[in-house]
Amino acid sequence: MTTLNSTRLKPTWTLAGNSLLILMALSVFLPFFWLSLGSFKTGAQLNNPALLLFKPTLENWKEVLRSGVLESAYRSATVGLVTVSLSVVIGSMGAYAISRYKTGGSSTRFGILAAQVLPPAVLVFPFLEVSYKFRLNDTLFAVIISHLSFVLPVITWFLIGFFDAAPKEVEEQALVDGLSRFQAFRKVVIPQVAPGIGAAAVFGFVLSWNDLFYALILAPGNSATLPVKIASFNTFRGVELGAMCAAILVAVIPVLIVSFFIQKRLVRGISGGAVKY
Amino acid sequence: MASISLKQIQKSFGEVEVVKGLDLEIPNGQFTVLVGPSGCGKTTTLRMIAGLETVDSGVIQIGDKDVTKLEPKDRDVAMVFQNYALYAHLSVADNIGFPLRSKGVKKEEISSRVAEVAASLGISELLKRKPKELSGGQQQRVAIGRAIIRNPQVFLFDEPLSNLDAKLRLEMRTEIIRLQRRLGTTAVYVTHDQEEAMTLSDVMVVMKDGVIKQLGKPDDIYKKPVDVFVAEFVGSPKMNLVKGHASAGNFTAQSGFQIKVDPKLSGEITLGIRPEDVKITNKDASSTQGKVEILEQLGPRAILTIQSGNQQITAVVDNENLKQITDKTNISINSHLEDHHYFETSTGKRLN
Repeated sequence: MTTLNSTRLKPTWTLAGNSLLILMALSVFLPFFWLSLGSFKTGAQLNNPALLLFKPTLENWKEVLRSGVLESAYRSATVGLVTVSLSVVIGSMGAYAISRYKTGGSSTRFGILAAQVLPPAVLVFPFLEVSYKFRLNDTLFAVIISHLSFVLPVITWFLIGFFDAAPKEVEEQALVDGLSRFQAFRKVVIPQVAPGIGAAAVFGFVLSWNDLFYALILAPGNSATLPVKIASFNTFRGVELGAMCAAILVAVIPVLIVSFFIQKRLVRGISGGAVKY
Repeated sequence: MASISLKQIQKSFGEVEVVKGLDLEIPNGQFTVLVGPSGCGKTTTLRMIAGLETVDSGVIQIGDKDVTKLEPKDRDVAMVFQNYALYAHLSVADNIGFPLRSKGVKKEEISSRVAEVAASLGISELLKRKPKELSGGQQQRVAIGRAIIRNPQVFLFDEPLSNLDAKLRLEMRTEIIRLQRRLGTTAVYVTHDQEEAMTLSDVMVVMKDGVIKQLGKPDDIYKKPVDVFVAEFVGSPKMNLVKGHASAGNFTAQSGFQIKVDPKLSGEITLGIRPEDVKITNKDASSTQGKVEILEQLGPRAILTIQSGNQQITAVVDNENLKQITDKTNISINSHLEDHHYFETSTGKRLN
């Protein structure tokens, strides 16, 4: 018991630690709180950020519905789902090859993330050029291709750790039991890393869902995704802050809910499959 | 059921040659155990038979078929791994039925075969469970069930008992022997435990540094090890090996230890005496003298660590012969000449 007591932090430190945590939590939650309030305020009320008691209005939410935010959310979801589906299929095979066969040597593991180091602006103009050439500008297809450029490497990198952690013998057992390499991969290896694939898919989806830069340049018009639509509330007449608050909430709430449920797996994925849960 | 033939098998990992031109003929239905210290190439040899490692050169035949270049799935072998390698996402029934399902056998036939195999292994009540809900012994039975369900040509075992506790290991050992005798399937078993190898094998293959040191019935290997390595590796407690000089029927060790040996021997030799062949008597002036340092009781027998001058000798003695002997007792050591093993000191090769 004495050893346990002696390793315990002093009360002052505990208090300081807890206060710091509370501060950090507040810094995360306050903006959401302010957004939620703002989505029910009129333009005049929004000019007073400290105003807590006011008569709520639904006008901002009506504006959000009128201006096609839900349609753009649907487009964002489509882009996210297609990008993630392709990334999971290609990325899982790539991650497996890198994990088991050391494809491309030891540098591939992190090398696949090399493009992430570049500022997106370096990549987006070639994308724009190509999309014009193929008459794909302002289509979701162009956005999906651009999103693959960062979602696919991240999902692949994310999955390598999960494949490393999956026991090799189980796969070899499947080979002896009558499966080909690809069948063993599909029927035995994939089920073992399914939790990781789920987490990687959500992670990749969020990356795609939140992207403004590529979508704004490649599809600013009829194919606008949700972040582009949110940005469009910044008009030449000024920022429509109330509607923007409501639209941001539409974008953020699904991500928050999903992240809450998969947080442990996300941590495990980022730490390369090392954390048990 | 089929014979296995390995001809001049060679395998390297990078610069390291792990299997060096290995030749091995395993007749149909025989239980062969590959045994040796870590890194001797036994597991690599087994994996090459399974098709999980490629062969650099040489030929592997199962029955009349050259399988050297075939995929594991086309070799008709079943394998049991050290960590059982069960499919965690499948139930016990699905694990056992897996090899049949991958062959496209009908569902009804699979479930009846699974029930049959499970009953023979005493795991019928576990069929609906997932592997993580089973104990180590139960998992091992499932792994064995999965191996026997499709009547393969060959069973391959890669240290399957290493992860079990001592009691369970003995139980499963007996069970594996019984199973192999019943099915009569050719089996190759890899272990680093010489005792396991002795008890399980029809033929034991002792390996070191990628080559076969000795091959034969366990008893023959025990009684006539071909060199110092095999002599020391097989048997527990280890054989006493003493380096020294022989002349005119007297052996004098570098440590000063003296004992009578075959008068035909002369020059530098290594004398080997199994601990159970060391005879202990109460003090007798005509024999080698020693003092009991440690006495370890094993129930019916005891292990004595004896110090004779600077030489340490291990003896295994039946309890009834212990009589007055306890720790620190002065005793005499003797042995029959026919129980002696003589090795050339420079090469380690057997002389008698």
